[in-house]
Amino acid sequence: MFQNRAEALALALPAAVFAAIVFLAPVVILLAEGFRNADSWSLSAYTTFFSDPLNRTVFLRTFRLGLMVTAVSAVIGYAAAFAIVNLTPRNKGQMIGLVVLPLMISSVARTYAWIVILGRTGIVNQALQLVGLSDEPIRFLFTETAVFIGLLQLFLPLMILSLISALENMPKDAIPAARVLGANWFQVFFKVILPLTKEGLVIGGTLVFTGSLTAYITPAILGGSKVLMLETLLYQRVTVANDFVAASVIAFILIVMSFAANLLLKRLATARNKR
Amino acid sequence: MKKFLLASSALLLVAPAASAQEKTLTISVYGFAQDAFKELVYTPFEQKCGCKLVVETGNSVERLAKMEANKASPVVDMAVVSMADALSASRADLIEKIDTSKLQNFNKLYDLAKDPNGDGMSVGYTFYATSIVYRSDKMEVNSWADLLDEKNASHVAFPNVTTNQGPPALYMVGEAIGKNTPDLKEAIAAVGAKKDDIVTFYVKSSQLVQLMQQEEIWAAPIGRFSWEGFTKLGLPIKWATPKEGQTGGMNVMVLTKGGKNQDLALQFMDFWLSTEIQTALAEKLVDSPANKDVKVSPEIAENLTYGEETVKNLKLIPSAVALDNREAWLSEWNAQVGQ
Repeated sequence: MFQNRAEALALALPAAVFAAIVFLAPVVILLAEGFRNADSWSLSAYTTFFSDPLNRTVFLRTFRLGLMVTAVSAVIGYAAAFAIVNLTPRNKGQMIGLVVLPLMISSVARTYAWIVILGRTGIVNQALQLVGLSDEPIRFLFTETAVFIGLLQLFLPLMILSLISALENMPKDAIPAARVLGANWFQVFFKVILPLTKEGLVIGGTLVFTGSLTAYITPAILGGSKVLMLETLLYQRVTVANDFVAASVIAFILIVMSFAANLLLKRLATARNKR
Repeated sequence: MKKFLLASSALLLVAPAASAQEKTLTISVYGFAQDAFKELVYTPFEQKCGCKLVVETGNSVERLAKMEANKASPVVDMAVVSMADALSASRADLIEKIDTSKLQNFNKLYDLAKDPNGDGMSVGYTFYATSIVYRSDKMEVNSWADLLDEKNASHVAFPNVTTNQGPPALYMVGEAIGKNTPDLKEAIAAVGAKKDDIVTFYVKSSQLVQLMQQEEIWAAPIGRFSWEGFTKLGLPIKWATPKEGQTGGMNVMVLTKGGKNQDLALQFMDFWLSTEIQTALAEKLVDSPANKDVKVSPEIAENLTYGEETVKNLKLIPSAVALDNREAWLSEWNAQVGQ
């Protein structure tokens, strides 16, 4: 499109400068705080952070919940996306509309709804008691289960949408062809569908995982201080202890985890390709 | 005539703007109930002094951090903070002595509010009792220890140590189990022993009304300022008067060191402490009065921390104790309860 590279670069320059000044520089300044010790560079803030058992627990919990939410949303996402792409165009539009609908509601409202649903007198406990699965109300609120459910509901639509577009780009006759050649459904999924839709899985997985790592409202409301996550811990360090160094350490950990997840998923996708 | 009217109305429009440019008072307050404060305190004061109020809001940690950062050339003229934060500001050399002879309403204050930290650096303007709100049909509360009772603990929301209600509630639990030391060690251990039973360690008291309504909880230690919401639930709910007494907290006014408008700041403090303003704030259930001349109806008093007797019996944690132990409380709490 452009006569030479220089022209193209010149056009990109204003946006790049803007991003560097208002985004990159503040991030670097913020993160640098965690590597400063008096006047020298040091990792001491990180060793202090990880030497506290509470911080280690919180780190592992955040990581574990992120992984679980991503894995479960992939399983449900494939099933839902597969069902949706096989509908008639009219029904498909309606179903996609239903999937997108929750994204239009504030996450605060959605999370508060879970407090009602998961409560002792909520619909889940009522149903469990009605069918005789439990004699008395089970406590869901302020447990990891509640945070898991809240995060799953929050980010599942992103996974479904990514997988729908991936499945739609898959050649229509790939599955019948595999079946004709004698593959069972298990083989069809792992040898045909998965390799052909991995890009969607990588995008959806990255969105869900980084979303789960950085969501604040859901763990704050559904988990409270009994189920601290890195993001709620970060808030606590800043507002209660005025401890910006620990906050910067946590921010750095979250950024690294997000990038690592994305790189790892991409690597997994290309590894499959080569085989 | 028409011309004259036009000219004079133009003058009227310009006049307040002009004087506003002359004097500006910057205050730093909690973000809570700002609409009511604007109507009852800020706007009337602006009209009275012909000056302009600039209001900065936020939680006390943020606001103190800002004052510290601007120490060399202060932006804020006066601030309202908790008793312990006032002592912390005083130790950091951020505030100065209040010349109470310039406060006409000073002698109308309850003794407790006159000089809360005993250093002449702050004046109390409101306080609150902290006790236990509970479902009287489900349980009985005669002591702070009842919260941790076998039958009750799994229906209790306890304040997190990081909230304003946390340390006072722990202080009273310590009192109840007969092991009350400034480090709150035994009280934190007692709560820690029940951490799996206790429903949640709440951070925002606004959440508790919903939890009470859903029968998620039967009891929680709260500040009196949160009481009103519970009374509207239509459930049998009572405010406990435990045998160890009630605790609470006080908010105070402080004067920034080196502030440029100290006289105006003192006028504003005096205005806020006046019987008229304190009554207005009490009637809107914004703040309980520190001015003992304030008279309100029994219905209003019911929702406040009101009256000589109540105020005299509040067991407040001394600021120095709170300040010197804050970090230790938090790490003890994180070790015993937080995981």
